[in-house]
Amino acid sequence: MTLRIGGDDAVELIGDCPSEDAEALLRHLCAHPDARVDWRRCESAHTAVVQVLFAGRVRPRGPPASQFLSTYVDPLLMRAGVA
Amino acid sequence: MNEFVEQFLIECHELIEQATDDLLTLEGRPDDAERLDGAFRAFHTLKGAAGIVDFAAMARALHAAEDALSAVRTGREAVTQDLIGDCLACLDQVVQWLDSMQSDGEIPPDAEAAADGIVQRFSRIPAPAIPEVSPKVGWADALMARHPQAQALVALRYAPDAEAFLRGEDPLARLAGVPDLLAVEIEGVDAWPSLEALDPFSCHLVFLALSASSAQGVRAALGSAGDQVQVLPVNPKGPSRASRLSAEAEGLLEAQLRLLDHGEAEGLAGRIGSAGRVVGNLLRHAGRAEEVGVVDRAVAASQSARTTGALVEVVHRLLSGQPPAAREPVEANAAEPSSTGGTARTLRVDVERIDALVNLTGELLVAKNALGHAVGQAQSGMDVAALATLLKDQHAVLQRLVDELQRSVLNVRVLQMRYVFQRFPRLVREMVLSLGKPAHLVTEGDETEADKVVVESLFEPLLHLLRNALDHGVESPAVRMAAGKPAAATIVLRARRSNDNVIVEVEDDGAGVDVARVRAVASERAVVPLETLEAMSDPEVLDLIFAPGFSTAAQVTQMSGRGVGMDAVRTAVERLGGRVVMESRAGAGATVRLTLPFAIMMSRVLTVEAGGQLFGIPLEAVLETVRMPRSEIRPVGAARAFVLRNRTMPLIDLADALGDTPGPTSADPVNVVVALAGGRLGGLEVDRLGERLDVMLKPMEGLLAGMRGIAGTTLLGDGRVLLVLDLQELLR
Repeated sequence: MTLRIGGDDAVELIGDCPSEDAEALLRHLCAHPDARVDWRRCESAHTAVVQVLFAGRVRPRGPPASQFLSTYVDPLLMRAGVA
Repeated sequence: MNEFVEQFLIECHELIEQATDDLLTLEGRPDDAERLDGAFRAFHTLKGAAGIVDFAAMARALHAAEDALSAVRTGREAVTQDLIGDCLACLDQVVQWLDSMQSDGEIPPDAEAAADGIVQRFSRIPAPAIPEVSPKVGWADALMARHPQAQALVALRYAPDAEAFLRGEDPLARLAGVPDLLAVEIEGVDAWPSLEALDPFSCHLVFLALSASSAQGVRAALGSAGDQVQVLPVNPKGPSRASRLSAEAEGLLEAQLRLLDHGEAEGLAGRIGSAGRVVGNLLRHAGRAEEVGVVDRAVAASQSARTTGALVEVVHRLLSGQPPAAREPVEANAAEPSSTGGTARTLRVDVERIDALVNLTGELLVAKNALGHAVGQAQSGMDVAALATLLKDQHAVLQRLVDELQRSVLNVRVLQMRYVFQRFPRLVREMVLSLGKPAHLVTEGDETEADKVVVESLFEPLLHLLRNALDHGVESPAVRMAAGKPAAATIVLRARRSNDNVIVEVEDDGAGVDVARVRAVASERAVVPLETLEAMSDPEVLDLIFAPGFSTAAQVTQMSGRGVGMDAVRTAVERLGGRVVMESRAGAGATVRLTLPFAIMMSRVLTVEAGGQLFGIPLEAVLETVRMPRSEIRPVGAARAFVLRNRTMPLIDLADALGDTPGPTSADPVNVVVALAGGRLGGLEVDRLGERLDVMLKPMEGLLAGMRGIAGTTLLGDGRVLLVLDLQELLR
């Protein structure tokens, strides 16, 4: 499991999230626009998954475990989410 | 030069201008698909044009550039400075070839070698070392500005195509592999559609990044995605303008110096022009467009001085890294464009007028098809009466269309009077100064239009009339004051349209023409026999001003009356198919009125039959046609005359005058065409009056060019040639 959906509709991204997770994440975010996302345990995420986060203007709970994601992508998401 | 080549040159210069503009814009905005398409199309069309004139080397060079642009269009290549530079170099080469062709009409013999050089530019492997010039690409500058602390060496823009995910690619993972990454941004995220509209399987992200690694290192890390990536070197100290040009640009500048140093006088102007364009394009390419003006001025100075000095100096300064202009490069008067008095060879035409022609062409096609249908009917044995009706209808349609077509075509050839009027205020000012008679010129109806030939031919007659008005018509200031007129005279130059004519008047508020004095001068110089003169009315006497021999060298002042008098004006105006009359108001001024045809190509003629032949008489000369009993014609000496409304005028038997045997004298009334030409009134006896026709008059050519009495010919509907008479000759 790389995408875990909790009882309060919150989503957790865990480990390596492949592109297949993107569709599931998108469906869930469409159904629950206010769902919280947590990617602190995410070690890598496919571009498609990150794209869904950007499109949903999601400000995930971080920073993610991946060095690259936490240095370059997480700050961008935090900024985009505010706008 | 071959007409084909001439057209080719005009077209190519336009296309090169367009391509250069597109390329330069594209460099600043690599995503501008419209400009990319524009440049591509221009190169493509240029290539096609080169093929038409069998210029294989040019087609080859352009093909290489076109291929490169095509690769950009399909996303295989990115817009880089090198690419734009190569394309511009290709255009520069083409310009040099065109200039060479302009001078001798031949394809330059060394074109193949030059084309090889261009082709090689495009086929080379991307240069390993990117020259250290600051990028002029907008996104890279903006990115640098947002990350002022980053000690970046390269900026990259990575735009994976939409199918990247489906191919199993992970662009972010690739980006993570880029060495010495300093910053990452994602472009345009804020403007995204809503989440519901997102297709999770296609990639919409565009990444921007800065790296402290080398361009090669970045490209290597991005691997097979290379064609979706633009990598640009950036200056860590932020964008600054290099005052030195790239090595490549310097090479080109040196080549221009060699070209200018050629030493031969022949083709000098072409070499200066072409070198100037190359230098200008180089500066533009280096983002120094504001300095191009200096180059242009140097080119102008070199052209007018017929030496390469000024331009060579600018090139030397650029090569040594100095600004191109150290001091004011040219004296002000050298920059003033020389006014050309010649006729305008090209015509700027309102698009609407061309559209009207295009529409008419469409309608003509329909009419043609309808006619084809009628032919089919006729072949299948249609009843003659019905066929005649059908043809009559078709003829009516065709007639309407052809009339309209003719009108539209003539409209294309029109120029505004402004074209000739605008030259007079300065000339009048000079005359005023030299004659010491204050006067000012007022022009009215500048926007009046007439055929190009008419407008262009008016300059000399009008200049003469203006001189004449000022010299002879306008009194000295003292006399004017005494007569209660303002000291400064007013001369009005006025144009207006009146049906098919354009009226141009020169009106002064001087003393008017002293008719008694004209009579005296005319009798003194025996312009007309004394008894004729005595019988002449005042307006007729006034008309003598235009008679040959009226003004003579005895009258010479600095301005007018250099032996060619007003008869030159009349000749010029009548050559255009116009008339000229003078009106005088004693003490209040005089007006010379030129009545000119709107369109010179079209004349209206009246056909007449005489001695069994058909002739045309220009309708503008015909005053009226009368039928009179033979008894009213009186012999006067060897000639004949008749009286019409108390005026006696000569009657000329047209057949006789043209050397035909006159028809048998009958008791029938005589058909007389009363005509006025060259200021003379007369009657022409003809056998029969025909119809009025609009014709395109062709002047006599070749051996017949000097033939007197015939103004020109035109073809009649049945294929016969109609001779149109020059009445001025006949009535003389």
